[in-house]
Amino acid sequence: MRRAPQISLMLRKLWLLFRRDLAVARSYRAAFAVEIFQALFGSAGFYFLSRFVESPKLERSLPSGANYFSFALVGIAFFDYLSVGLSTFDASLEEARQNGTLENLLVTQTSLPVILAGSSLYPFVWMSLRTAVYIGWGAVLFGFPLRGANWLGAFLVLGASVLAFSGLGILSASYLLVFKRGNPVNWAILGLSSVVGGMLYPISVLPVWLQYLARLTPVTYSLEGMRAAILGHASTRELLPSIAGLVLFAAVLLPLSFAIFSWALRRTKITGTLTHF
Amino acid sequence: MQPVSRLTVPALRGISFEVKPGEVLAVVGANGAGKSTLLRILTTLLIPTRGRAQVCGFDVARAPAKVRLQIGYHTGGDACFYSRLSARENLVLFAGLNNISATETAKRIAEITGPFGLGELLDRQVRTLSTGNIHRLGLARAMLHRPSVLFLDEPTRSLDPLAAADFRRFLLQDVVGRHGTTMIFASHMLAEVEQLAGRIAVLDSGRLLACDTLAGLKAAAGADTLEETLEILTRRNSREAQ
Repeated sequence: MRRAPQISLMLRKLWLLFRRDLAVARSYRAAFAVEIFQALFGSAGFYFLSRFVESPKLERSLPSGANYFSFALVGIAFFDYLSVGLSTFDASLEEARQNGTLENLLVTQTSLPVILAGSSLYPFVWMSLRTAVYIGWGAVLFGFPLRGANWLGAFLVLGASVLAFSGLGILSASYLLVFKRGNPVNWAILGLSSVVGGMLYPISVLPVWLQYLARLTPVTYSLEGMRAAILGHASTRELLPSIAGLVLFAAVLLPLSFAIFSWALRRTKITGTLTHF
Repeated sequence: MQPVSRLTVPALRGISFEVKPGEVLAVVGANGAGKSTLLRILTTLLIPTRGRAQVCGFDVARAPAKVRLQIGYHTGGDACFYSRLSARENLVLFAGLNNISATETAKRIAEITGPFGLGELLDRQVRTLSTGNIHRLGLARAMLHRPSVLFLDEPTRSLDPLAAADFRRFLLQDVVGRHGTTMIFASHMLAEVEQLAGRIAVLDSGRLLACDTLAGLKAAAGADTLEETLEILTRRNSREAQ
């Protein structure tokens, strides 16, 4: 089969998997409304926290153009992409095991990596909607600054972040395939990133050795790039170091994670534990 | 992390058989005899540690994608669909994952669900369907890409006697009779085996004790019924193993 029809076949499969998850989500009608109000409470919580901690000294240590509310809101909202990236592959594998569809999916003409990639689309799109709602509440009610943001740049940072985070997510799913429970990959990455990634404070407040460690976690580049694009109005050229960092992570993590995932899949197919919990 | 050799036990040993196109083969044996393992190897869900298996001329370990193009697989479990999607949405998804185009999918769904008696139910959520209809839907899904070989693992396990009889009639008349599909199924229900199978493979503790027609098996064991035949063959195997 030629490359073009193969690509269109794969895109159709990704679309079908996305549509499956959208249809399942639509069948739980109240969930979206609940999420909108949850975002309102989250946004309001950060706003009042920022009023409590805001001081001229704090403002001086934040990147230009940011008050603590907007700094923390971007940090929290986009840190969640890392959580989704890490959990989405695990979750789709676990769901397929639990609802008994895994074997039926595996005997189709679609490889497991494509099934997992397709299954991760809806969570990322849903996350984007949720982030938009968070920022929307922040802008409408609490003065989050939207004017002058470089949305194209933010989109590029987001795309590169999703690729890098997906590499970590596939590594996490490989662990789940082999060991079934208690995923330390997920725990270690999320724990480390929440301390050194700059979610609630700039990494400049960290001890120097932790700042070096921060440079080894992709979420640091993601949050720096997002804040620079949305709050600092940086041009796309100015965002290139963050984007390049994320692309480098993706270039290393994606092939590595696919290789490890293939090994894990083969191992579970030999040991007969693929569908075990 | 333990080596694979320590995590695996020999589930099948020295098994060798062939199935001709259009034939129906039943695989019988006690729990743990290796029936499901055999079906999982042939459907590429398991990789054998030793030996070779081919489906339609393709090696299950070396060319799994080509094997999957030729096979349909259905298990007797009734929780193998996205229950909040409609029957049609489920079929469209699996058809797409089997490389069937959107137009062809619509055509095939209409074509296949009519005789399956699912036409009226296609737009209902799967969770609202009866177990019997979910089984028919499972079979429709397995047949959607027109496989040459159909593998069924205890296909009537959770059906009531009437629904099971109906399902068997359908398998014989439509799947085998009309489509000429080769069928390999594992079952504990001997009446089902007698009704459907042209040949029967008897497994015990991972070994193939015999593979013959019902009459051939009975004659070899000197028994009158299939149940008696299985008892004699497995007892003989245990004695030989000791």
